[in-house]
Amino acid sequence: MSTTFVAAVASSSILSGTSLLYATLGELVGERAGIVNLGLEGVMLIGAAVGFAATSIAGNPYFGVAAAALAGSATNLLLGYVVIARQANQLAAGLSLMFFGLGASALIGQPFVGAIVPALPRLGVPGLGAFDVLVWLALPTALFLWFLIFRTRWGLALRAVGEDPAAAFATGRRPGSIQYQALALGGLLAGTGGAHLSVALAMTWDEGMTAGRGFIAIALVIFSKWNPLWAVAGALIFGGAEALQLQLQARGTDLSPFLMTMIPYLLTLLVLGMWGWNRQSAAPAALGRSFFGVE
Amino acid sequence: MRRLRLLVLACLLLLAGTPAIAESALTVGAIYVGSVNDYGYNRAMKDGLNVMRAAIPGITLLEAENVPETAEAERVMEGMIQQGARLIFATSFGHQQFAFNLAKKHPDVVFEHAGGWMQAPNFGNFFAATQVAWYPMGVAAGKMTKTNTLGFVAGVPIGYIIGDVNAFALGARSVNPQAQIRVVVTGSWSDKAKEAAAAGALIDQGADVVTMHVDSPVTVLQTAETRGAYSIGFNSIEARRLAPNGWLTGLGFAWGPFMTATAKSVIAGNFKPAMVREGLGEGMVVVAPFGSAVPADVQTLVSAAADRIAKGYNPFTGPITDSTGTLRIKDGEAWGGDKMGNFDWYVAGVVGKAK
Amino acid sequence: MRRDLVLARWNPAALAARHRAPHAIATALASLAIFAVLLVAAGKDPLRAYRDTLFYVFGNAYGFSELLVRMTPLLLTAVAVALPARLGLINVGGEGQLYMGAWLATAGALGFPNLPAWLLLPLMTVLGFIGGAIWALLPGVLRAIKLVNETISTLLLNYVAPLIVSFFIFGPWRSAESASYPQSPAFVDAARLPSLAGTRIHLGLLYGLVSLALYAFFISRTRWGLAMRAVGGNPEASLRLGVPVSGYIIVAMGVAGGIAGVAGMAEASAIQGRLVAGLSPGYGFMGFLVAWLAAGRAVGILIMAFLFAAISSVGDILQITQAVPYAVVNVLMAVILFIVLSQRRS
Repeated sequence: MSTTFVAAVASSSILSGTSLLYATLGELVGERAGIVNLGLEGVMLIGAAVGFAATSIAGNPYFGVAAAALAGSATNLLLGYVVIARQANQLAAGLSLMFFGLGASALIGQPFVGAIVPALPRLGVPGLGAFDVLVWLALPTALFLWFLIFRTRWGLALRAVGEDPAAAFATGRRPGSIQYQALALGGLLAGTGGAHLSVALAMTWDEGMTAGRGFIAIALVIFSKWNPLWAVAGALIFGGAEALQLQLQARGTDLSPFLMTMIPYLLTLLVLGMWGWNRQSAAPAALGRSFFGVE
Repeated sequence: MRRLRLLVLACLLLLAGTPAIAESALTVGAIYVGSVNDYGYNRAMKDGLNVMRAAIPGITLLEAENVPETAEAERVMEGMIQQGARLIFATSFGHQQFAFNLAKKHPDVVFEHAGGWMQAPNFGNFFAATQVAWYPMGVAAGKMTKTNTLGFVAGVPIGYIIGDVNAFALGARSVNPQAQIRVVVTGSWSDKAKEAAAAGALIDQGADVVTMHVDSPVTVLQTAETRGAYSIGFNSIEARRLAPNGWLTGLGFAWGPFMTATAKSVIAGNFKPAMVREGLGEGMVVVAPFGSAVPADVQTLVSAAADRIAKGYNPFTGPITDSTGTLRIKDGEAWGGDKMGNFDWYVAGVVGKAK
Repeated sequence: MRRDLVLARWNPAALAARHRAPHAIATALASLAIFAVLLVAAGKDPLRAYRDTLFYVFGNAYGFSELLVRMTPLLLTAVAVALPARLGLINVGGEGQLYMGAWLATAGALGFPNLPAWLLLPLMTVLGFIGGAIWALLPGVLRAIKLVNETISTLLLNYVAPLIVSFFIFGPWRSAESASYPQSPAFVDAARLPSLAGTRIHLGLLYGLVSLALYAFFISRTRWGLAMRAVGGNPEASLRLGVPVSGYIIVAMGVAGGIAGVAGMAEASAIQGRLVAGLSPGYGFMGFLVAWLAAGRAVGILIMAFLFAAISSVGDILQITQAVPYAVVNVLMAVILFIVLSQRRS
């Protein structure tokens, strides 16, 4: 394993893992408030489509990413309305959101397929590769979120709501309002994750281009124990799996890409099993209401 | 009960307002596996259909994009037949079986499938002689590479694609025996994120010329351009403007004349199914203009190679050994167009797994 | 006696059922209106789309037959969700169980091509059941021993199953006959579920209806079925009463997975005629939504599956007649779901 190979794998893991990391962080914030969003895939797709469309219209990728973030936030707030104000079942609402995202993104993106847009410019790191601004901001974002969740009053309220909304309410907080805020923030991040795919990586839009990354992110949130710092490691591992198999192919080594892609999911399952044994659930107790209740 | 009656009334009103179906010379249906704005394979098919439509007045064209290569395709094609289509173009490889199923069911509808081999009285097959056309591309890559590593991003690893890689390799090594061709398979005709990562991986492994056989060359071209590598295009000539510095040359398709001829034969009622494979000589495949990076002597060499192919030279003439050293095509033997789908081995010089 | 009957007509459940029909119509109309607005914004003609759909689905034998074809897997995957739901279990793993059922059934079809149809098809059905059952048993066992919540484990395994299928069709089962296109070899005729003449309606529909009927019978007429409801309502009490809760969990998940697996076998055998990568466009998830909308009731599942299939037909028509991407039909589905979700208190 030469250093160039390791560097190549590292750099492509970072590139692949960035959109995954943003989506994971977005889901993580929402889940910390007790709301599980199974429709993350849909939110990412909307982010990707809107990001690409906005970049095409404005000729500016930064504008595109910003628009994507806002679109992601709006989509999450749609979920928020249904789940918080109307008290709907979170799983059903999440899956509905997934279908919504699949369709809405196709509709939004259709007029822009094949458009050539300016991609997010990349800044080089000698020996490693060239990365765009979203990659550079990924780690700081994770750190910021960690700080936000674990070191601020808002974060405390967030966690309180996720653990026991009734108790939080009793101490004078407004759970509904906090959950909306969490979803709004989470949506910004998830939309950004989607935009990274279309505006920075692939530089194009295609129906369904997230290819399941939204669900990988949901698994990653669990894998990272709802901690943004672990999410960074997880995103690298999951992003690395895909990057590794492509690099290995380019090198001529033969390893089934499918078996490699399976590993992150099985790893998550294994990790879950190990915690369960200790009966230490790091999950916010009120997540999804009866979602995580292992009685 | 009252609301139910209102609903029924609303439905009846809707049905009442149905316009009559317009008369047309021929209704043609076309299904694409991706989007026609892909700057690539589907665009080329659409361009061909536009040529057909312009050449024959009164043609109605029904199209459906993003039709997957599964039984869904049957549903879509059947829908088009219901709307009056009498000629169906199933433009992607994986649509074959489903078009064939429908051909059995609708003997009065003509089906043309792109890229396969099945035939029936109302089912024909067409494609360009793509594989051998890759030979001059290999010549261009072999001459222009400085690292002697060429990268090929392959979509779905069917025999025909492996044939493309082989011809590319044969062409490259005919002018540069040191050239090595590395192949990365994405597994899908169009997975943009994977294509970007695959192209990146090839460049990481030392390739300074990258090419592809996926539906759209856009992502690979743009990735190569960002990383400063040369690129050779496929499926689209126009895509060269995406890689102003790195573009060497490329291959494009011109389906229009064939599609027009087919439509005319269906209208005239004398359609005959055939396995059509036309190449550089007949103009179904065209070599793209050269990029600014290609010096004149290389251009001459590539054009000469393309000319040889157009005149009938078959690079798959024995003896040819595969990448493990086994003799695959014996001396004096040659693999013709009918065998292009049988490739499950790479020629010497290609790094990758064919099976 | 008669007074009881009369009073029964006015009990809350009956009243609620009375109000459901007009609610459903209002929901449908509202959804169609919202979707129409979206189509207009995209420059398309919604009235023409709806009119074409009605023609296609009800005025056209093929259109109606395709609706039934689409409905078939939904019946099965919905039961796969509804059954464990009686116990309070959440099975979102229908996709994965479907793929594994298709996979094992394919192993049977490829391994025994010389068997006659009357042997091969039941064998494949059983294999399909087993494949799906195994895939659901793992989460079931993990849940029964209180190790991992089944919602998460079934969700994760959803993504492993298609990878296993892809591994096989790109590898050991890759069919050399079609230029090595990644798919299994075509099933022999004996391995194809028979279809209704001329259409694609296949025996899978019978499987679906029978499963639904068995489900309805089981949960309301057998003691295990009724016990499941009690267990789902109060697992601790049931445990204390000596009910083998773990056993119920494992069996329910296994059977549910098996039913979803049969859906996979039917799709592969009847519709595709081989094992392919894109076997399911989300049937597992749609089944979850069908079961949820129907609140686990058998008649509701039948109606909702029909509705979902009809909505998908709108997508077909839009795609062919107005060049709208098929995927857009998901918006219509989502709008209906959001409206219903916003009304109900679950």
